[in-house]
Amino acid sequence: MPNWAETILEELKKKEISLIAFVPDISIDRVTSLLENDPYFHVIAATREEEAIGIACGAFAAGRNAAVFMQSSGFGNSINAITSLCTTCRFPVPIFINLRGEVGEFNIAQVPMGRATRPILDVLNIPFYTLDTDHNLDKTVGGALKLCYSSREPVALCMTPLLHGGKLA
Amino acid sequence: MLRLDATKMILSHLKDEVVISNLGPTTDELWMAGHRDRNFYTYGSMGLCSSMALGMALSTDEKIISLDGDGSLLMNMGALATIAREKPKNLIVICWDNEEWAQTGHQKTHTAFSTDLEKVAIGCGIDKTATVRDIESLEGALLRALAEDGPWYINAKIEASEEYPVMPIEPEVTLWRFRRTFTDIPTGHLTAMPEARP
Repeated sequence: MPNWAETILEELKKKEISLIAFVPDISIDRVTSLLENDPYFHVIAATREEEAIGIACGAFAAGRNAAVFMQSSGFGNSINAITSLCTTCRFPVPIFINLRGEVGEFNIAQVPMGRATRPILDVLNIPFYTLDTDHNLDKTVGGALKLCYSSREPVALCMTPLLHGGKLA
Repeated sequence: MLRLDATKMILSHLKDEVVISNLGPTTDELWMAGHRDRNFYTYGSMGLCSSMALGMALSTDEKIISLDGDGSLLMNMGALATIAREKPKNLIVICWDNEEWAQTGHQKTHTAFSTDLEKVAIGCGIDKTATVRDIESLEGALLRALAEDGPWYINAKIEASEEYPVMPIEPEVTLWRFRRTFTDIPTGHLTAMPEARP
């Protein structure tokens, strides 16, 4: 039985997503470490989340499927990149966002952006799916990725501590 | 050196190499200099031109030329650090440095004062760099960059230029047309594909 991180990797491979741009986050380090240790993926550490969006879009333009991993604070950093690049040119970029400010949050500064992430995705008309359980995780991730490419639009996958156990602090 | 003349000179040396252009006049002048399917025109997302170029360079062996700008690169200087970390051999960044935000009223950028973007590139770890002030020097640097492995950073000081109208470029069409030169799946729609390739 694969764990949540392994399930995400399997679904990425099924959609031939082989380039990953990310900004690190301890809660989802389990999945980004797996990605870095798997030769199928080229994983690029960006200095800022909007840069990661640009790298993923460039890869897609040159024929390679690419996804982005970040935390909700970084989603705040990358909103204009997502709208002016992904939405405007119709780049199908799956955006995996670790939601801070959820159950168990210890840092007050992470709460407002974490809580605002899904409402902002909603007004941007970007579909989002919350990943908070192993149940049907393969179907949710695989289905969201398929929707991303069939609609030629970004799709967000929001991960919570109920999925990954939260920050190990 | 005028950006439009310099852009025409660059295109005169290219076959199928990719050119990706920064938003605003750099994109409009690339279109005017000569439309090709391997031109990727950006329209927004200021600062991301060379980040996109990096994503392209890591996805193909072909040469990728990013036409960036000083104001835009200042907004995302981390792009140079990531390029230096990844070291794609096929990436050439040319930064049109007019020392101003021309589109927003000709306010001076930091490169008009003490910031030297070539030194920033060197400090990030990009070994092959140049600063050029005329079209002949740019041509020399470009020919070296096309012949030798990169990544390259070429800072090209340019003069203020005439403002041209916005060119009739459709973003969605740009992506479709450009991606079509790399794959027969221009939209990324996977339903027609096998679930996994060997």
